[in-house]
Amino acid sequence: MRRAKSGMRWFRLLAVMLVSTVACAPPDHADLENATISIVIPYRPGGGFDRAVRAFAPYFARQLGANVTVLPENVPGAGGRRGATKVYRAHPNGMTLGIFNLPGFVLPQVLGEKVDYDLRELSWIGRLESQYYVLLVSATSDLKSLQDVRAAEGISFVSTGYGSTALAASQIVAGGLGLTDKDPIFLAGYAGTADYLVGLIRGDGNVAVAPVSTALKYIESGDLLPLAIAGEVSELEGVPTFTDLGFPQLAPLDIQRSIAGPPGMDAELLHKLRAAFSRAIADPDFIEAARNARLDLKPLEGEAAAVEIAESYSYYEAFKTNLTNPNAM
Amino acid sequence: MLEPLLTAADYLGQGINIAYLLLGVAVGLVFGSIPGLGGATAIALLLPLTFGMEPEQAIILMGGIMGAVSIGGSISAILLNTPGTAPNAATCIDGYPLTRQGKAGIAIGAAATASSVGGVISLVILVLVLPVAKAIVLWFGPPAFFMLAVLGLTSLTVASSNLLRGLIAACLGLFFGFIGYDDIGGTERYTIGIEFLWDGMSIVPLLIGLFAIAEMMNLYRTGGPISKHEHDETLRVVGTLDGIKSVFANVRTLISGSAIGTMIGMVPGVGGTVASFLAYSFAAQTSRNNENFGAGDIRGVIAPEAANNAKDGGALIPTLAFGIPGSAEMAIFLGVLILHGIDPGPMLLIEREATIFMLILALLFATLVSGALILVLAKHLAKIAHVDSMLLIPCVITVSLVGAYALHNSFGDVVVAAFFGALGYIMIRADYPRITLVIAFVLSGLMERNFIQSMIMFEGDWLRFFSEKTSLVLFVLTVLALSIPVLNRFRARGATS
Repeated sequence: MRRAKSGMRWFRLLAVMLVSTVACAPPDHADLENATISIVIPYRPGGGFDRAVRAFAPYFARQLGANVTVLPENVPGAGGRRGATKVYRAHPNGMTLGIFNLPGFVLPQVLGEKVDYDLRELSWIGRLESQYYVLLVSATSDLKSLQDVRAAEGISFVSTGYGSTALAASQIVAGGLGLTDKDPIFLAGYAGTADYLVGLIRGDGNVAVAPVSTALKYIESGDLLPLAIAGEVSELEGVPTFTDLGFPQLAPLDIQRSIAGPPGMDAELLHKLRAAFSRAIADPDFIEAARNARLDLKPLEGEAAAVEIAESYSYYEAFKTNLTNPNAM
Repeated sequence: MLEPLLTAADYLGQGINIAYLLLGVAVGLVFGSIPGLGGATAIALLLPLTFGMEPEQAIILMGGIMGAVSIGGSISAILLNTPGTAPNAATCIDGYPLTRQGKAGIAIGAAATASSVGGVISLVILVLVLPVAKAIVLWFGPPAFFMLAVLGLTSLTVASSNLLRGLIAACLGLFFGFIGYDDIGGTERYTIGIEFLWDGMSIVPLLIGLFAIAEMMNLYRTGGPISKHEHDETLRVVGTLDGIKSVFANVRTLISGSAIGTMIGMVPGVGGTVASFLAYSFAAQTSRNNENFGAGDIRGVIAPEAANNAKDGGALIPTLAFGIPGSAEMAIFLGVLILHGIDPGPMLLIEREATIFMLILALLFATLVSGALILVLAKHLAKIAHVDSMLLIPCVITVSLVGAYALHNSFGDVVVAAFFGALGYIMIRADYPRITLVIAFVLSGLMERNFIQSMIMFEGDWLRFFSEKTSLVLFVLTVLALSIPVLNRFRARGATS
């Protein structure tokens, strides 16, 4: 009797588990009605990626429909790989999207490290931000021009750690300017861009490469001097581009923040998300919010963003020999 | 300077803004007192609420939280030997023994008062230092950071009652701190193929395990309530007023704690845990009649609590002047500022003086209001120490494990908390100092990264540590920290003979 009761209990438990599993199965939302979409931020709250998603989410939701909710979800870990992998492995029903650091997430793949994602396979929805890199020295430094940097001995770049976009950008600039033969020092390991720029002001090293928006406040305060900037047209008044100075191979050096969903997303769904993205980035309210949040909006729509990703792989592949760890132990 | 200060005070005095401040204080106290939640979680949670606010109102709300969190955290440190936030860890050393002696009221009174006064002192120092803030931040390069970590570890070891056990605990702390990806050398260390360990272990689940869980395991063994005082009449919570008085009777401890807190706060990336511990060990080493430290000396509560709130004032300097957050909550606060169009950087101190004063005033009021609230509630809070363990243990363990999970929504953190719970229990039983392990853990990353960076800068010539001014000064302080106990011993020997 007891055995029969116990069997019954197991049966009930199994039935409940089965029903809950079915109930929890990912819904197939081609129409996105009443959906709750999460945008995975692969870093902790507080940084630039977090800021971009939090500013964008409400306006994206507004364009997706009256009952759609878009929630930022911080999934930090393993230098962003945990979050990237989560999006890559998610069900492609549009409920899980993510913001990606480019070339940050491209680099491990280029360097042959084992990662559980391939950015080229993601369903790209659009690019939010893009910032060019600028070459900086301290305002009190003897180095006053790109020529000075090229002629100087004992060049020391300050930057974040190995695997970061800033160190890769510094190594590419060193390679592009022909400094590699002089064995420049790469003083890596600072916690963030502001940290290594303060290190540059302090004199820990003598040159740095940083995204223009972070560097701008130190340039305006007179602490740092910009020597050259990436891009075809200079975004800083009076500062020449690398191309102007004869180094066109450094023109594409930038950092981008783009939004994508998992691979294999249904074409109709992807079209809907891309259309909503395009309307959101054109929404004057969002443009105002983005300005307040100091986002460097350079939107690119879905298809074009996907092409950009593919191109960035070949760009960084070309500099692969420059990108080994300079401080490997 | 007066005009922006008056503008700020006027704005803060408006009804709705006072309401935001009080909301911040309430949230800060609750989140501060629950291990694992802390200020960073509170700020992140309230962040969406601020979207519709004026930037200044958002700052007031966040100021309320930041001013109240550490006072909230001291309550659980004193009553349950479980620091609510990492910087409250040092408060456990003397706060908890006081609770066991039935003197929780005195400890809470002292902690709330020292926190409030420490906060006020640091804000005064902050206002005075603002004009030269930039220079101070620029003094600290990698060599100085390394020496600061050495100073921290040295004071830690010297303060341990048993040197060998202290050293073993410190080595364990360093070992656990080195787990994870080393982003200078580009190598994974001790991650045993687990992706979760790539970023190393977080301090919060480690603290939850070492203190909350380990303490509850120990309480299960001993049974009964936390307070082991046998006389029934002392079960009534008394002494809050004595606690307040004790702070003013130990002005020297209060001032030194506040000054150490402010100074350490100014150094970006070091954080409150080191500040409060350094303040504690300074008080323990330099006070007269210091034999009771560790067994329930009220000065052991005053020093870290004063430092703990004082560090917030100091930490505003690198956060506002350079956009370098000194702690996790400052990092999220930085995000709040930027979302509201206030971009921290060298120009901020000049361009938005009134906004900065607003924040300073919000912090000041939050500190005072939360201190007063705790004093009023002390009587009721302290009753926790008299709750029977069979009720207390399941509650604390549940809250602790949920807190560990809530940190990053990660089950890995729950496992870390459980592991350190077991380790903490073994350490209690074998009489090894858990605080030493915590501080070494906190300092490990700072020490290693800055050592490697310094060696890259110096191209391998380590003697240059002594030609950098700041690192030389810190080295001299380290030597002094080592020699004070030896000198004290000589003095004591001289006095007896």
